[in-house]
Amino acid sequence: MEPSTDQPGTSHSTTNPISDGSGENNGQFECNICLDTAKDAVISYCGHLFCWPCLHQWLETKPNRQECPVCKAGIGKDKVVPLYGRGSTNNQDPREKLPPRPQAQRPEAENRNPGFPGLNFGDGSFQMSFGIGAFPFGFFGTLFNINDGRPRPPPFGGAQYQDEQMLSRVFLWVAVILMFWLFFL
Amino acid sequence: MSSISVTRIQRELKDIKSECSGQNIKIELYNDEYTNLRGEIVGPPETPYHGGVFKLIIKIPESYPFNPPKVSFETKIWHPNISSVTGAICLDILKDQWAAALTLRTVLLSLQALLSDAEPDDPQDAVVARQFKENKRAFLKTAKFWAQHYAHAPGPVDKDCVEKLKKATEMGFFKDVSLEALSKYSWNLETAIQHLTN
Repeated sequence: MEPSTDQPGTSHSTTNPISDGSGENNGQFECNICLDTAKDAVISYCGHLFCWPCLHQWLETKPNRQECPVCKAGIGKDKVVPLYGRGSTNNQDPREKLPPRPQAQRPEAENRNPGFPGLNFGDGSFQMSFGIGAFPFGFFGTLFNINDGRPRPPPFGGAQYQDEQMLSRVFLWVAVILMFWLFFL
Repeated sequence: MSSISVTRIQRELKDIKSECSGQNIKIELYNDEYTNLRGEIVGPPETPYHGGVFKLIIKIPESYPFNPPKVSFETKIWHPNISSVTGAICLDILKDQWAAALTLRTVLLSLQALLSDAEPDDPQDAVVARQFKENKRAFLKTAKFWAQHYAHAPGPVDKDCVEKLKKATEMGFFKDVSLEALSKYSWNLETAIQHLTN
C-alpha cells in the first residue's frame, strides 16, 4: 500500500476519495464507513471496501435490512471477501476475528406446577386439606430464602433490612393466628 | 461519544474543507464535542430559494455513522417537506434510508436537491404542500419572499407582499406571526387578519 493513502490533501487525492463509491479505483483504500484506511479489510460482491469491524457493526444495526452502505446491494457475512495484502503476517480471516455473534440459547422448558393435582379434583374437601397442608411448606420456603434468582437480601443493619425483618415478623404472627383459627374454630 | 463517530466527523470536516469550497455548502463545529454542528446551504438556482443562505442545525448521535444525523432548518423556509414552524425535515435518507457511507456533505447536497425538487405527496408541512399543489403561483411567491426575508436571498422584493405585511404589522401583530398567516392564506389580507384576530 502506498504511504500517500494516509495523507489526503496531497496531489494524489484531488478527486473525491470518499462517500459516493466512485473513488475506490484511484489508489484509495479507505473504508466506506469510518473513512480511514481499511483495517481487516473485506470487500463486498458489489465492490465496496470496508473494515470488517465497521461493516459488522452496520449489519448489527440493521438486522432486517442487510444492504451495502454504499449502493444498497444485498450484503452479509457470507457475501464479502476478505482481502489479504502481501507480507501481512496474520492471514486469519477478518470475519473470524470479531467475537462471533452470541449463539442462540435453548433453555429447558420450565415445568410449572409439577404434578399439581388440585384442578383435576373437583371435590372441595380435598382442595381444602391440600391448601392447609401446603401452606407451611410454602412458608418455610420463603423463610429459608431458597436461592431462586431473586434480588439479594439487603445488607445487615440497613434501614431496608430492619423494615424487612419487621414485615417478616408481622407475617409470622399473621400465619400463627391463621393456624390457630383453622385448628380451633 | 464513541470514538468512531468523533474520528469520522473530524475526517469529514477535513475533507469538506478541501472539497466543498465551490459547492455552496458549509459545515462547522458548534461545540468542541463533535455532537453539535452548524451547516449552511445556498438556495439552488431556478428555485424561489435562489441565493438564500439557509442555516442548519446538525446533531450527531452517538451511534453515528450507523444511524443518521439529526438535521433541521434553523432559518425559516417555505417548503412542502420542511416544517415552516419548527424547521423539521422530511427526507428519507435522514430516516430509514440512511446508509453508513453517506456523509454530512452528501446530506447537505441532498437537502439542496430537495429545495430544487419538492415532494408534495410526502409532506412535512401540510399547509405548504396544499398550497404547492393547489396554488403554485402563491407558493412560489411565498417561498421567494420567505427566502428574501429570512435567508437574505437577493433580488427585488415583491411589493404586494411588503405592503400587506406592513398593513398587518401596523394593526399590532408581530411580524413573524403576520407573515405566517398571510402565507397560509395565500396573501389574502382579509382572511389572514380574520385568522389573526381569532
